[in-house]
Amino acid sequence: MFDVIGKKRWFFAFSLLITIPGLIFILLTPISGGEAGLKFSIDYTGGTTWSIKFADATVTAEDVRAELATLGQPDAVVTKTGKGFFDIRLSKLDLRGVEPTPTPVPTVVPTPSAAPSSSASPAASITPAPSATAAPTTTPAPSATTAPSGSPEASASPTPSGSAAPTGSPEPTAIPGSNTQVPTTGEIGRIATALQEALGPISEQASLSSIGAVVSSDLINQAVILILVGSLGILGWITLRFRDVKMGVTALVALLHDVIVVLGFFAILGTLFNVEIDGLFVTAMLTVIGFSVHDTIVVFDRVRENKVRHAGEPFAEIVNHSLLQTFGRSITTSFTVVLTLTALLLFGGSATEEFVLALLIGIVSGTYSSIFNASPLLVVWQEWEDRRRGRLAAPRAPRRASA
Amino acid sequence: MRRTTVIFIAVIGVLALIVDFWPRLRLPGLDPDAGSRLIETKLGLDLQGGLKVEYRVNPVGDRTPGLADLEIVRGIIEARVNSTGVAEPVVVTSGTDRVVVELPGVTDTGTVRQLVGQTGRLDFVPIPVGTTVNAGQALDLTAVTECAGTGTVTTLCILFSGDQLDSATLGQDKNGGRAVNFNLKDRGEQLFAAFTAAHVNEQFAIVLDSVIISAPSITQAITGGTVQITNEGTIGGMPQQEATNLVNVLRFGSLPFPVEELSSDTIDPTLGKEFLDKSILAGAIAVGLVLLFMLTHYRLPGVVAGVALLYYALVLFAVFRLIPVTLTLAGIAGFVLSVGMAVDANILIFERSKEELRLGKSLPQAIEAGFARAWNSILDSNVSSLITASILYFFGSSVIQGFALVLILGVLVSMFTAITVTRTILRVVVAQDWARKARLYGISEAEFVYRPTGRAAIRRGATPGV
Repeated sequence: MFDVIGKKRWFFAFSLLITIPGLIFILLTPISGGEAGLKFSIDYTGGTTWSIKFADATVTAEDVRAELATLGQPDAVVTKTGKGFFDIRLSKLDLRGVEPTPTPVPTVVPTPSAAPSSSASPAASITPAPSATAAPTTTPAPSATTAPSGSPEASASPTPSGSAAPTGSPEPTAIPGSNTQVPTTGEIGRIATALQEALGPISEQASLSSIGAVVSSDLINQAVILILVGSLGILGWITLRFRDVKMGVTALVALLHDVIVVLGFFAILGTLFNVEIDGLFVTAMLTVIGFSVHDTIVVFDRVRENKVRHAGEPFAEIVNHSLLQTFGRSITTSFTVVLTLTALLLFGGSATEEFVLALLIGIVSGTYSSIFNASPLLVVWQEWEDRRRGRLAAPRAPRRASA
Repeated sequence: MRRTTVIFIAVIGVLALIVDFWPRLRLPGLDPDAGSRLIETKLGLDLQGGLKVEYRVNPVGDRTPGLADLEIVRGIIEARVNSTGVAEPVVVTSGTDRVVVELPGVTDTGTVRQLVGQTGRLDFVPIPVGTTVNAGQALDLTAVTECAGTGTVTTLCILFSGDQLDSATLGQDKNGGRAVNFNLKDRGEQLFAAFTAAHVNEQFAIVLDSVIISAPSITQAITGGTVQITNEGTIGGMPQQEATNLVNVLRFGSLPFPVEELSSDTIDPTLGKEFLDKSILAGAIAVGLVLLFMLTHYRLPGVVAGVALLYYALVLFAVFRLIPVTLTLAGIAGFVLSVGMAVDANILIFERSKEELRLGKSLPQAIEAGFARAWNSILDSNVSSLITASILYFFGSSVIQGFALVLILGVLVSMFTAITVTRTILRVVVAQDWARKARLYGISEAEFVYRPTGRAAIRRGATPGV
């Protein structure tokens, strides 16, 4: 019979071998100030990502980068993707259209003398509404305002919006051949126009996202809190169901192992290949936490059952036996999930690639840590507790499974 | 009791099929006034393309927006968005101070953004005597204070602001011409009464974001708080567009709190379509692989689990359409993941049943024992998933919530399909003569007992030596 518990040191060593490099890379993140370690997407840092394609296929990423540098974006990251699209990452821009600038009028109303009044209304007047009961009976004189009608100047000034027909500021001249979705207003519009003047029209725009620093600043903290609350929830539930805090805590340790493995893996990927973690990453982490505990539960459930059946046997043997009995199903349940995730990774497209990869690594790690970390740890703890109890209860303490 | 279970499963299955595939099905919604609702698959912005903007509602001075204020802001933004004629806009609140606007299909972002994002500060401004102003003219009110407006007006001041407006509608003047009526709240009513009484035949202006919208002259003191703006002397009254414009400004022009654009996303519809096609393909492959695996690994029970899995997918999809759940890329990933998790319960049960068979139990006993013994593990596992998914749902952003909701519903539906449905089908199948073959269950003939044996035999068999 294969002795998992007896070889526990090897399995712990293997876990350390995997987690320590990951931990080093995670810690590199704050040490290097973001140069190495985990790379955060604009979800966390704020900024703008823009995916465009130029009509001219010979434009290179270097061209775009050089042009952006002259436009006040020296830190722009430009990568060319498979289908000729450029993924451009900029610092946060104001995407809003240029608001109609309030004409700086001194203090009093402009042009008191010559101005013809009221553009479209020959004689706007104001009265109490006829429906009002309190309306005075005196008939309003046919409006007294002097009002030559049809002022041409109204069309020149921006029509205020909040209404059905916002006209906005004067349209910038469109670049011929430019895709209609390409922004023309705001700072991004200025950049788009300048880019097109230099490199030819942008034929397609796949996406344009902008995230302000306000959204992102608290996101990392929030992610940490979510993962902590999730872990504590699991700890509470396992402890409650198995009536054994040891099982809850060892399951939690296995979870933290998985979190570190996934984070470490992405820290390494970020350092080597600039793979970024985005807002969905915390979702992947929590899903891993919720799922990887499944295998732990199956083993612990069997341990609980066998403890009753084989009362009196050494705890290590009970756990080892339970592990072997449940080994097949632990592998199989994880295998089906790995199967579905692999299909998503291979055929699901690039948008969810990192998300699925994080899930995949987490679930593989979860299966390993459930079998080779959680259960051996449980044995270590139980034996330590038995020894201590044995010393306390003096000469002949019976070795029993805890009640 | 088993009979009712079979009927229940069949009814749910048929209902799910109807909801899934009946074209243009309409069902009465929860809100009886809204009438029937078209049952359709709602796709998120990342799958159909469009514009998404997240706003934060900022405090003004010492006033912080509460949840009720947030709802008012949301309503105003929704009204503004609707006035642009965008199809199926979604405007929802998020958290304590966020409003998220989703405009499917819209990629021309400038105008919408400009319209929605502006605070729209609406002011009622007495115009100093001897000055004439026109609609459309700019009026800088940034350094201007409030005034009572009863004395002679010499400099610009604000009588009151848009928060004193109660309602605004299109109306008719006494000649039947088009006019705009609006009502003022208490303070506005008193101020306006005092002001108009002292300034008959003078002008005042309605100003939105420092631009004059309308500058009528006062014909008489207006004391009731009910005001009408007319264009007398013009045939038909006020021009249609001017009147609607004015009503819209009076109604939706002013947000009680300024909004700030936090983030925005524009996704090209063709890209969204590509994502959708790819995830459907990936999902189909994933389900196919799982079915194939279950069939080869567990034989006959695997086929039953496969049927239960298809049933699961049909029911879950129907639930998505009924609620409705908006499917996003992450949501589809959650759906595919949940397929992998849904068979987990079956695997636990079948492995356990196999074990019991090898211990000498008869086939029906082994299967019942498999279900009974695996129950604890299944429940604990699913609750763990529910705990983390609920945390995501209650504290996550809208994208995360979409994923979490799919996962929560998936776990709940799978508890029903993987256990009740599988057990019911399996009980029926196992009772058939053709099903009594060891190789259908992936064990050897020697281990296989079909007929139930005595309890004592099982007890002995069930206690393996360690």
